[in-house]
Amino acid sequence: MIRRKTEVLLLFVLLFIVGAQAQRVTSIRINEVLVINEDNFVDDYGKRSGWIELFNTSAGTVNIQGCFITNDANNPTKYPVPKGDVLTKIPPHQHTLFWADGVASRGTFHLNFELDPDRDNYIALYDSDGKTLVDEIVIPAGQMADVSYGRKVDGLDEWISFEKVTPSTNNLTLDTNEKIDNFRMNDSLGIGMTVTAMAVVFLGLILLFFGFKGIGRVAISASKRRTEKATGIVIQEGDISGEVLAAISSALYELNEDVHDFENTVLTIQKVKRNYSPWSSKIYGLREIPRK
Amino acid sequence: MQESFLSFLGENLQLFLTYTGFYNATPEHLIMLVVGLLFIFLAIRYEFEPMLLIPIGFGILIGNIPFKDAGLQIGIYEEGSVLNILYQGVVQGWYPPLIFLGIGAMTDFSALISNPKLMLIGAAAQFGIFGAYIIALQMGFEPNQAGAIGIIGGADGPTAIFLSSKLAPNLMGAIAVSAYSYMALVPIIQPPFMRLLTTKKERVIRMKPPRVVSSTEKIIFPIVGLLLTCFLVPSGLPLLGMLFFGNLLKESGVTRRLAETARGPLIDTITILLGVTVGASTQATQFLTLNSVKIFGLGALSFVIATCAGILFVKFFNLFLKKGNKINPLIGNSGVSAVPDSARISQLVGLEYDATNYLLMHAMGPNVAGVIGSAVAAGILLGFLV
Repeated sequence: MIRRKTEVLLLFVLLFIVGAQAQRVTSIRINEVLVINEDNFVDDYGKRSGWIELFNTSAGTVNIQGCFITNDANNPTKYPVPKGDVLTKIPPHQHTLFWADGVASRGTFHLNFELDPDRDNYIALYDSDGKTLVDEIVIPAGQMADVSYGRKVDGLDEWISFEKVTPSTNNLTLDTNEKIDNFRMNDSLGIGMTVTAMAVVFLGLILLFFGFKGIGRVAISASKRRTEKATGIVIQEGDISGEVLAAISSALYELNEDVHDFENTVLTIQKVKRNYSPWSSKIYGLREIPRK
Repeated sequence: MQESFLSFLGENLQLFLTYTGFYNATPEHLIMLVVGLLFIFLAIRYEFEPMLLIPIGFGILIGNIPFKDAGLQIGIYEEGSVLNILYQGVVQGWYPPLIFLGIGAMTDFSALISNPKLMLIGAAAQFGIFGAYIIALQMGFEPNQAGAIGIIGGADGPTAIFLSSKLAPNLMGAIAVSAYSYMALVPIIQPPFMRLLTTKKERVIRMKPPRVVSSTEKIIFPIVGLLLTCFLVPSGLPLLGMLFFGNLLKESGVTRRLAETARGPLIDTITILLGVTVGASTQATQFLTLNSVKIFGLGALSFVIATCAGILFVKFFNLFLKKGNKINPLIGNSGVSAVPDSARISQLVGLEYDATNYLLMHAMGPNVAGVIGSAVAAGILLGFLV
């Protein structure tokens, strides 16, 4: 019993960990990096410096407080993201920007290192334990001024250079819904959608049909086996169905009811002779004569 | 002194007057109020879906009391107002899955399990959705709007709200009211087409009584149903997941309290909130547009197409069935998922032609298959158009 409880508890813990993991810092990706900022985005202090954009790939808000950003593979805990700042919470599918200006005293989003335009820049994000690598990237040397290096589509693997940088916004700007445009262009009558969708609806319900046809057969044969085992009667194919048996039973019952000569309410008293019963014993039925 | 006080009172009264409904009323408001009163009348006088029409009708009254837009946070579209907070359940789409939880907990799928071929009728009736989709496209609606309008043909209010909140939020009020109105009008819309498309001989077909379904089969149904349908259409997960979950609560036999809550107090609460807020969302300024009129027309058409598709499919299906296994085409209308109204219509029309032919149990099969079918169709539209 205790073992069973422990197993159930472990299962819940596992489920909780898996569930929690889905919205943890592991969903964060380094998304876009600008190494040389000459005539580009300006920070709150009016200064220009390189920047690193992070992107939350999950559907839940992720707080990156306590995580580490570094440009040194041998020093994973180089810049700890300060705790207690509400702005470190990154909403679902949103971005946040860190300035690589080497002046951490300027605030939460100012790193204590700068990006070097003359060599490869290693950038990594570590979880709050300082050991678990969440994401890393090496920005090749020779980056051009005001041209960023980032993922072609937010969160996906392919990296490209962006002449038009996109700090704190989507790398791929969508001003239309591609799916709807496709339908508008290629299926203006709606026939394609109708055929495809109806095929899927039918397929889904056909799958259920076959599934439950099979399950029904198994259930019927199992029920037949149980009945045979319990009654000892072998049920043959084409035997009288339960409905017919029920009809015969109710007909017999009605017939039996009609056989009565008298109404059910007539009380028949049959005299039972017994030699002795404690109920008729005199010692319980008579009072003792009071002593005078 | 006295004069200035009187003028102060007069000004205040004048100001107060500008805040009253009488001052702010427009003909559009009055039209919507009449519509609301009509819903309430139909619900009380003819008992057309009173559980839906009373909350929606009263919601329409609430939503169409004219008021001055002075940031008082009273309108349903004003952020932070009580109605707006309640309306978030519709906008964000979390009322419909909760309704589906309750539907699952109150639905007996035995008829479907005992005769699984009835599922196909539920699939055929989804033609109503896509028939309306095609027509809506021709009327100039965008594909996403056409999808949201088409779902009215599923005859499933929660699904219609859920899908329109994702595909075309600006049309949601008209779509929701249209879907619920036509669900209430099922007894008027369906019978003429049922009679038109069937022969006298077909209407008296007697179907085999459904076999007894074991409790194990009933328990397996929601689990297998979820896995099969949602692996095929994961976007149907919010609705199908809750539907089958509710059904497992009912059939497992060990969660009676949860099942009773889901099919009782929970679904009642959500129905009240959903009905009132959907009704209130029909503010004249937002609702009385040409698009709304078009949506109402398309909604009626989609119900007709769905009904006809279900009946014609049964007639077609019968061509391949042996003599004793034929299906009465009068249950074809039940493929739309207005549970259990359309099944009740099958029963009533069937009894008109044979007073001892009870079709209700048979009709419940395609009826609940229609719920699954429309949720799957919604999932497909969501997957294709979002």
